[in-house]
Amino acid sequence: MSKRIMVVDDSRLVRVQLEDVLAGTEYEIAAYCRSGEDAIARYAEVQPDLVTMDIIMQGMDGLDAAEIILKEHPEARIVMISSLAYGDTFERAKAIGAKGFIDKPFHQEQLVKMFREALA
Amino acid sequence: MNSAMTQEELEQILDQAVQDVTERTAGVRLHQEDMSPGEDLCTVHITFDQGFHTSLTLCADTSLLSRMACNSFHEETVSQEDLEEFSKEYFNVLCGRIARAMFQATQVPAHFNPPTFHSGRYEPEGQEIQFVLTYASGQRDGAQLIHHVPCSPENGASEV
Repeated sequence: MSKRIMVVDDSRLVRVQLEDVLAGTEYEIAAYCRSGEDAIARYAEVQPDLVTMDIIMQGMDGLDAAEIILKEHPEARIVMISSLAYGDTFERAKAIGAKGFIDKPFHQEQLVKMFREALA
Repeated sequence: MNSAMTQEELEQILDQAVQDVTERTAGVRLHQEDMSPGEDLCTVHITFDQGFHTSLTLCADTSLLSRMACNSFHEETVSQEDLEEFSKEYFNVLCGRIARAMFQATQVPAHFNPPTFHSGRYEPEGQEIQFVLTYASGQRDGAQLIHHVPCSPENGASEV
């Protein structure tokens, strides 16, 4: 059975790229949220196996959104996908409880490996 | 961006990021060539709000950005909305790559605001050009990556 992914990113391009990269894998995109606020509102309804979360978005950033989702749903598994995968951003993502961090632009191999680790 | 780096080192970081991210994101190869973009232009811009008080601007032929967007969306044509969305995400990834390379070189973490998109050429207020890297594609359209720094006080402009 496919694992259901909720994609949180304000760019439709990332959704297209993820659809390309996840085609033929055991993962499917179950929901697409264009903001952190939307992700918080829809998490309980979607109940994804995994969330991919961008960081730099209009409005609430992805780190704040991930923190709120994890407070409300401690079982949530969140992987940050961002171009800011270093330094204090990386440290804060770990402190919040994110399961991993993937750089943009991403590769299929790198993404699937991270998803498997996050869901293990 | 940082006094610990020479302009030449910074130019190398920017150039490597442009070539790598452009090919990986949009399947287009760019090479440095002294060719100015034409008149139908788009600009994307980011400002660093932590770490470095500078900004980066990409001013490109609309035809180049449209072709890159088509490649990325797997579509033959793109709407103005998709062009804008592609341009902002592409530049977001490009600037992230640059910021990460800067962090590796200086240990200074840089954050930047979401990119803004402008039809035509856009020049940020209160900033002056430090240097410009000029690129051409195989189809003879081009782009300029412009590094801006705050205007020096003697020029009469306020520092950002």
